[in-house]
Amino acid sequence: MLLPNYFLADLPAEAELSPTMITEACQTLRRNREAYLLPRSTESIIELLCGVAENWLHPEYPFRKLALEQGPNATGFSCETLAAGLDRFFKRFTPQAFRNLLVQELGHELRLEKILSTANEEKESRGAIVSAPELLVHIAAGNLPNPAFMSLALGLLTRSAQFMKCATGASFLPRLFAHSIYDEDRKIGSCIELAEWCGGNIPLEEALFVEADCVTATGNDETLAAIRQRIPSRTRFVGYGHRVSFGYVTKEALSGFNAKKVIARAATDVIAWNQLGCLSPHVIYVEPGGIHDAEPFAELLAQELAARERSEPRGQLPAADAAAIASRRAFYEVRAAHSPETRFWRSENSTAWTVVYESDPRFQLSCLNRFVYVKPAADLKTTLENADAFRGKISTVGIAASEARSRELAVQLARWGVTRVCPLGQMQDPPLAWRHDGRPAIGDLILWTDWENE
Amino acid sequence: MSSELSVFAARLRDFIGIASTDSLYLDPADDLALRQHLDIEFNGMAIVLFGLQFLRNPAYRKFCEARRVTPNSITHWKQIPAVPTVAFKEWELTSLSPEERVAVFHSSGTTEQRPSRHFHSTESIALYEASLWPWFEQNVRLATNDLRLMILTPRSKEAPNSSLVHMFETIRSRVNAPESVFVGMIGTDGGWTLDFSAATKMIADSAASKQPVFVLGTAFSFVHLIDHLTEQNLRFELSAGSRVMETGGYKGRSRVMPKTELHALISKKLGIPNENIVCEYGMSELSSQAYEIRNPQSAIRNFQFPPWARVQVISPETGAEVNDGETGILRIFDLANVFSVMAIQTEDLAIRRGDGFELLGRAERSEPRGCSLMVK
Repeated sequence: MLLPNYFLADLPAEAELSPTMITEACQTLRRNREAYLLPRSTESIIELLCGVAENWLHPEYPFRKLALEQGPNATGFSCETLAAGLDRFFKRFTPQAFRNLLVQELGHELRLEKILSTANEEKESRGAIVSAPELLVHIAAGNLPNPAFMSLALGLLTRSAQFMKCATGASFLPRLFAHSIYDEDRKIGSCIELAEWCGGNIPLEEALFVEADCVTATGNDETLAAIRQRIPSRTRFVGYGHRVSFGYVTKEALSGFNAKKVIARAATDVIAWNQLGCLSPHVIYVEPGGIHDAEPFAELLAQELAARERSEPRGQLPAADAAAIASRRAFYEVRAAHSPETRFWRSENSTAWTVVYESDPRFQLSCLNRFVYVKPAADLKTTLENADAFRGKISTVGIAASEARSRELAVQLARWGVTRVCPLGQMQDPPLAWRHDGRPAIGDLILWTDWENE
Repeated sequence: MSSELSVFAARLRDFIGIASTDSLYLDPADDLALRQHLDIEFNGMAIVLFGLQFLRNPAYRKFCEARRVTPNSITHWKQIPAVPTVAFKEWELTSLSPEERVAVFHSSGTTEQRPSRHFHSTESIALYEASLWPWFEQNVRLATNDLRLMILTPRSKEAPNSSLVHMFETIRSRVNAPESVFVGMIGTDGGWTLDFSAATKMIADSAASKQPVFVLGTAFSFVHLIDHLTEQNLRFELSAGSRVMETGGYKGRSRVMPKTELHALISKKLGIPNENIVCEYGMSELSSQAYEIRNPQSAIRNFQFPPWARVQVISPETGAEVNDGETGILRIFDLANVFSVMAIQTEDLAIRRGDGFELLGRAERSEPRGCSLMVK
C-alpha cells in the first residue's frame, strides 16, 4: 500500500517547509473545520473514531499491515511490540468510553453542542455550554505513538482543526493514523495537518504558534519552557512534562498461587512499548515477607523477560542506545563482582533485556529499552522517601495488591503527588478517560460559557 | 612497589623505544617485518602484564574472577577483560600502595559527578611521559625555530588532577619554546575559562613578529577563544609553522560545535590551515593517547594509538569486535597503564577503521545518578 501525498509530513524528506506553507495550511484547516467538522454531532465523531479504531484492530486492515511491515524500520519497535501496543490502545475506543469521558470532563456528553444543565444546575436555573479552540496545535514527542493518537482523537471530539508537529523521524505512526481517518472520512481528515521538523525551528514555529488558539506539547521540561516562552500570551498552552513510573509489589500479592502472575505482569509493563513511555516502570519495588523477596523476584522476572523476548522481541536499537545499555551493564557488572548487594541478569549476545537487583532502595532511573531495576521496599512510606528526588515527577505506580490494600496505598500515593495508580501489568494501558498528569483531558482545552436563567 | 611491575615498565620503555623509530611511520611498507614483530611482542607483553595486574590489583582481580578469566585462561590480548571507565569512580583500580601515590588524575566533568581516579607514582608518571612524548612528536610535527606555545588550560599547580594539563606541561617542558604561556584560568564556578587579553596579546604579538605558535587546548576552550575573537571582530594570520592541537570534549562548558565547523573557524580566525590542526584523543584512565592521522590518499582522518596501545571497536549488542566500517564502543588496551589496568572499556562510540577508529562521541552516561531528571 502506498500512502497518498496528503499531509505535509508525506512530502519527501528533501522538501523544505516554509513559514508561508505553515500559515496557508493553518488557514485551510480553519476553513475546513468551519465547513466540515463544526456541523458534525459529537455522536457522529465518536462513531467515526470507534469505526477507525475497530479497523485498526483488524489484522487485514491496510494501515495496520503497513504499520507492522514498515514500523520496525521506522520506529525501532518489533512487529510484535507494535501489534501489542496498537491493540491495547485501539481497544479503548468504544462509544461508551467516549461518552463516559465527556460526562467526566463536561458533566454531560452533549455539552459541546448545546446549553445543558445537570440536575444541580437545573435547581439553580443555570446551564452551560463549552467551546473548543478553533485551531489546536500539538507538539508531539517522539517516543511512542499513543499520546499523539490520543491528542488527535480528543481534538476531533472537541471539533477543533488540528496541526500536529512531529519530532524528526517520529511521524510514521501518527501519519498512518491521520491517513486512516482521512480514508474513513475525507472531510474530517481535511481538518488535520501533520508535519515533521526538528524542534526549535523558529521561523516555522512562529508561523504556527501565531495561528494557534491552543498549543499542547509533550517533552522534557526544557523543551516545554522554551515553547511556552514563544507562545503568544492570548494562546492557551498545555504542557505535558517528562514523567517516570514504578511498580510496587506487596507481600500479600506474592502468594504461592499468585506470584507467577505478578511476575508476568511486571514483565508486561517492562515490555510494553519497550519501556519508553512515561508510564513504564524504571523500578519494581518488592515488599519482603511474600513467597519471594526482591532478589529472587528479580531472577524470576529475568526468566520471564527471556521467555517473552521469544514471543515479543524488543527489536533493533540504534548503536548509541545499545551502547548506553552496554555501558550501564558494565557498571553493574563491576558492582556485582564486588558485592552481593548487587546482582544482574541479562540477555546473552544482545541488549534485549536486563534486570538489575540492588539492595539499595533509592529510586533509580533506567536507561530503558527493557532495562529494569528490582529493589526491596520496606513499606510504601520508606519507598516514597527513597524516591523523594522524583516527587512531583512520578506519573504512574503499578501495584500488585489486594483491592483493600491497593486503595489504601493509592491514598498515600495521591497525597505524595502520584497522579495514577493502576494494577501492575496495565501501566501502559490507561483507560480512555485517564487524566494525563492528573489534569483533565478535555477540560484543559476548552472554554466554558455559563448561562444563568432568570 | 611490586618489583615485577617495575621490571615490566623498564621492558616497556625498550619497546616504546623500538616502536618509535621514525622509519616505521614514514614508510610502513618498508618495515612490515618490524610491525609483525611488534604485534607478537605486544601480545606477549599484554599477557604478561595481565598476569601481573591480576596478581597486584585486587579490585581488578575480583572483576576478572567474576568473569571467570584468569591468566591461565587467555592466549591473546583480545581476551583480557576490559574494565569500564566508571569502575575508576567506584574502586581504587591500582597496584600502588597509598604511600607510593604522588598524583591522581581525575576525569573531567560536571561537578556533581564523582570523578574517575587514576593513581600515579613517580615511576608511573615517568612512564606516562615516556609514552606520550614519542607519539606526540610523530604526529605533531613542530617548527624548530622561534616556536611559541600557547596553552589554553590552567597550569598544573592550579589543576593538579588533570591528566591533560600534565600532558601539556610535559610537552611544554620538552619543546624548545621559552616563550610559552598558559592562558587558561579556573573560573568562579570551578570550571576552566580563558584569560582573553593574555591570549589575544600572544596571538597578536606572534602574528606581528611572524613567530609560529603552537596552540593546545580542549574543544570547548577553542570555542571560547573563537567566540571572543568574533565578539572583538579580530582575525589573525599566524605565520606558517603554527599548529593547533585540539582534544575533544565539551563537558557542558560551551556550546557543542561540529568538528569541521570548529576547525574551519580556527583556520579563519588564526590563519592556521586545516592540515595543521591535529586532534588528540585521551582520557585520565589511560597513559597513552591517540592522534587523528590523515590518510593522504583518501583525506579520511582516523585516530590511531601508538604501537604499545591497541583498540577494538565492540558491538554493544554482542560484545564481539565489529567489522571494519561498523559502529560500536571503543575498548583500549594500553600497555603504559602498568600500575593500574591495561584494558579499558570506554563509553565512546566509534567506527572501526582498520586498526584505528573514527570517533563519534560519547554514549549516554552509564553511571546512574540520584537526580539526573532534576538536573536535566
